[in-house]
Formats: sequence, structure tokens, C-alpha cells
Amino acid sequence: MSERLNTKNLDIGYNENLIVKELNLEIPIGKITALVGANGSGKSTILKTMARIMSPKEGTVLLDGKSIHAQSTKEVAKQLAILPQNPTAPDGLTVYELVNYGRFPHQQGFGALSTEDKRIINWALEMTGMNKFYNRPVDQLSGGQRQRAWIAMALAQQTDILFLDEPTTFLDMAHQLEVLKLLEKLNREEKRTIIMVVHDLNHASRYAQHMVAIRSGTVVSEGAPEKVMTQKVLREVFGIEADIILDPRIGVPLCIPYELASINEKEKHKYKALKTG
Amino acid sequence: MNMVDISIEEKKKKTRGITVLSILSILIIITFIISINTGYIRLSPIDVIRVLFGGGTDKEKLILFDFRLPRIVISIMIGAGLSLSGCIMQGVSRNALADPGILGINSGAGLMVVLFVSFFSTNSITSIFFLPFLALIGAGLTATLIYVLAYKKHEGISPTRLLLTGIAVQSAISAAMIVLTIRLNPEKFKFVSVWLAGSIWEANWKFVLALLPWLVILIPFVFYKAKVLNVMNMGDQIATGFGVEVEKERRVLLASAVALAGSCVAVSGGISFVGLIAPHLARRLVGPKHEFLLPASALTGSLLVVVADTLGRWIVQPSEIPTGIVVAIVGAPYFLYLLAKTKE
Repeated sequence: MSERLNTKNLDIGYNENLIVKELNLEIPIGKITALVGANGSGKSTILKTMARIMSPKEGTVLLDGKSIHAQSTKEVAKQLAILPQNPTAPDGLTVYELVNYGRFPHQQGFGALSTEDKRIINWALEMTGMNKFYNRPVDQLSGGQRQRAWIAMALAQQTDILFLDEPTTFLDMAHQLEVLKLLEKLNREEKRTIIMVVHDLNHASRYAQHMVAIRSGTVVSEGAPEKVMTQKVLREVFGIEADIILDPRIGVPLCIPYELASINEKEKHKYKALKTG
Repeated sequence: MNMVDISIEEKKKKTRGITVLSILSILIIITFIISINTGYIRLSPIDVIRVLFGGGTDKEKLILFDFRLPRIVISIMIGAGLSLSGCIMQGVSRNALADPGILGINSGAGLMVVLFVSFFSTNSITSIFFLPFLALIGAGLTATLIYVLAYKKHEGISPTRLLLTGIAVQSAISAAMIVLTIRLNPEKFKFVSVWLAGSIWEANWKFVLALLPWLVILIPFVFYKAKVLNVMNMGDQIATGFGVEVEKERRVLLASAVALAGSCVAVSGGISFVGLIAPHLARRLVGPKHEFLLPASALTGSLLVVVADTLGRWIVQPSEIPTGIVVAIVGAPYFLYLLAKTKE
């Protein structure tokens, strides 16, 4: 039941360089999964391949047991939606029109919007709190509003599974929370499966029930935040030394980095040398 | 906020779109009437109606049916074709500065025409049907060359690469054309230079017939692709996420744009800037959704070329300025204005 989406021996790369090798990943359904890792670790590449924006060199991404790269791409679009990093809308496109585009996989050539389409667009606008701004051009919104408008577009696609590539990057703290709270609401109230790449580990720990830590295209650790957010994993994946404390409100682990792991080693040697010398 | 509000908003947009399209059509009709009346020999609107209903002298009939009408009809057709071509290119490449001229398609068609003129007679009847076909092949070959050169494995086509490759190929073709035209005899040289300047040369009904099938097939097809163009205009990743086979659709749409521009250029010669300016003006009028943007672009393009052609005939009577030059006089400053604006 819970194995709707997984990858099988996935190799991803450009030309000769493999970025991801033999990846076997299972995405828990009905949960928020956060992919974390350093820059260039391949987490975004994995997300894109799972959402069939990229094609793997070898292996398959299975959705309900069928390869998504072998299926009709329009059929896949009815089951999973992806919001890429930094999307840009054409000048002058309004929020309503943007969300309207989300109905694309369900429409045909000249077809006009059905009552059902309109109902879903309205629902997506309401869900994201964008109904107040439905007639604003997307390029005139604040960062948080804009991201919510894009999420509304992805919601209008009416898929159970939603991929987001760094949905909070380039947003200030309030706007980051605005987006994360929306995703939490979608997961809780609408039972959407959400897979996202996030940079902020504490955000991942707080809002995701499942974390996947990636280094050089391989999974170092995966599971609940309590399992993944450890000093050892942080050292291996990010090369940092960090204290792990428990969130005083909801008890999830939070990290406070204090040192670069590699420099720490060197420093130790220096001190040793000083002491013995 | 409820559903009723949004439906009203949607209706408003639709009404606005339809109003803009109607106004453009009316402007075309007005220009059409003025244009019929413009030229060395004047025909008043009443004369025109009289001639249309079978009256008038032989001379009047000749002027109307054999000179002015086909010329205006062709202006309308190529305006629509070039503008649609530009609109598709701008949508597909996500580059506001893309148009068939800049991507070297005009010069590709031009080169073929120059090659043909160098070796064959310009007066034979077969050349009338053959020339558009050749120009089309030229446009297609150039576009394919540019596409292949700009294509990168795993990355597909990046708009910047496409544009720069287009400019490079265009320069090479221009050089080849200069070499070829130097060798021509004076009569052929005149033919070529008039053609390159974008005069709607020797417009007659045969050209209308030669061009018509292309437009009749391609325009509805392109309108059918409006939704795909909307989505592709948001970038490859979003389009793929929506279930569009991006590379395939891009190829099909670029091929349609090339066929439209190629067939028009064959008849009109080097009318540049229409494919750039008209979609821009249309976008200002109806916004970025292609359901309205495409027809608005086509009508704006038609209007622009008919106005330019009429002005070209009127300004320096009894002589003429080639339509392409009139368009360029308006187009070049607008192009520079666009460049200045996109820098911000």
C-alpha cells in the first residue's frame, strides 16, 4: 500500500559523470519527505528525475509499479505535480490565469474550462489563501505570495503527489514559514504526499515526517527526523559539527552548527602539537 | 471570494479580448479601403464599389483587380503569417527578441531566392509557384541548421544559444548572398535588391493562391496549440511537469513557424521586424495568453503590413518605397526601445 512511489537502481548523470548511482529510494505515501544534502549532492537531480523532468541513465522510477518514464507523460501529470526552483511567469499573467494553467493535463486542445475545472481552481486559490489576489499579476506579488500562487497552480493539477524543489529558498523568514505552514496544511487536511528539497535542516525536521540525507548521490541516512538529525549524519553529509537539541515546543530535533568538521580536525592536531611541543 | 466573482473576471477578459480583435479587424478594413484608394491613379470608394459590382472601365478594373486588390490581400496574409511565426518563436524560446528575421529564417529563404534567380529566368510562370517552395526549403534548411547547432545533448535548446547561433548563421548567409548578387546582371540584380528590400513585388492572384494553402493549414493548427504555447512559455520544467513532451512540441511549433515565415518571405521578400513588433504590440493589448495573443498578433501583423504598404505607395508618389523599408523605419527604433527596456 505505502509503496506507491519508489526508485529502482537509479543511475543519473550527464555524459560520463554519474551524479547518482544505484539509488533505491522509497517515498512514504501521505507524508512530507524532505531531501537534504550539501550543494551539489544531487538531491535536486534526484527530485527532478523522480518527477520525470530528467531522464535517468539506468534504472526506473516506479509509480504504482509502473515506470513513469515509460508512461504517457500527460497521464503521469494527473498523478504527480512538480514545482521547479525559481519558476517565472510571463509578464502580466494573473494569479487566476496561472492557477488555470494547472488544469492543463486535464484539458484538450480547444476545450474551455468546465464547471469542475472552475471549482478546482477556486478550491486551490482558497486553500493557498490566494483568492484575495486572484486578479493580480504574478510578477507584482511578494515572494511568499508568489510561491503560494505557484503552489496553487500545482494544486490545481489535482495530484496526490507533489514535488517541490527548494520552495523556501530566496524567501525571508516570515515568507518561509508561510510556505511551510501551507505545505503542512496540505499534507494534514488534503492527505497530499509531499516531497521537497530544503536547505534549512531545522525546517526539514519540523515540517517533514521523513528525511533523506544525501551525499554525492547516495543516501547516507533516511527515516524520521530523530533518526536522521544526529551529529554523525551532519558530520558525514554536511561536514559540520553541531549540537542537537530538542525543540522546546514540539520535541523534534534541531541542530545548532558550531564548527566545520574538517577544520576541527586540523585545529585538534595544532593543539596537540602545541601541547606536546 | 466565490466562484461568481472569478467567472465575471474571466468574462471581462474575454470581452476585452474580443473587443481588441474586433477593433483590429475594423482598422484593417478601414486601411483596406484607404489602400485601394491610394496610388498614382485614384479610385474613390464609390468607384471601387462600382467596379466590384461589375461596373467601371477596363482601366479601372485592371487597376483594382490586377494591381491593388491582390497586393492588399497579400499584405494581409504575410502580415498575419510573419507575425504568428514571431509569436510562436517568442513563446517557444521564451525570448522577447526572437523573430523569424533574427533567427536567420528570412535570410535562408532569401539565399535560395537569390540562388534561383542567378540560374533561372525571373519571368517564367513556373517560377511563381516554384519560388515560394524554394524559399520555404531555404528557410527550413537554415532553421534546421540553427536548431542542430544550438542543440546540446541532455540540455536541449537554450534560448540564448538559439538566438546567438541564429545571428551567426545569418551573417554567414548574408555574406554568401552578397557574393552571389555581385555576379548578377543588372536586370536580375534589380529584381533581387527589390526582393530583399521587402517589396510586395509583382503581387498577383497567383501568389495569393500559392500562399493560401500554407496559411489555411498552419493558422488553425497554431491556434489549436495555444494551450501548449501557454505552458511552454513557463519554461521546460513546468511544461514537462504538466505532461508536455517539450522537445517534440518545440520541434513541431518551430517547424510551423518556419513554414509560416518561409512561405510569406518567399512572396514578400525581406520584410523584417513584423514578426518582432506585432506580437509585442498584441501582448500589450491582450496579455500573454495565446488563445487571444495568437489571433491578436495575426491581426496586428496584417494591419502593420497593410499600413506600411499603403504608406510606401503614398509618401513618394508616383514612386514607391518598398514595404519592408517602411516597416524597418518604424521597427528599428521600437526594437532599440525593447532592448533598452529588457536591460533593466
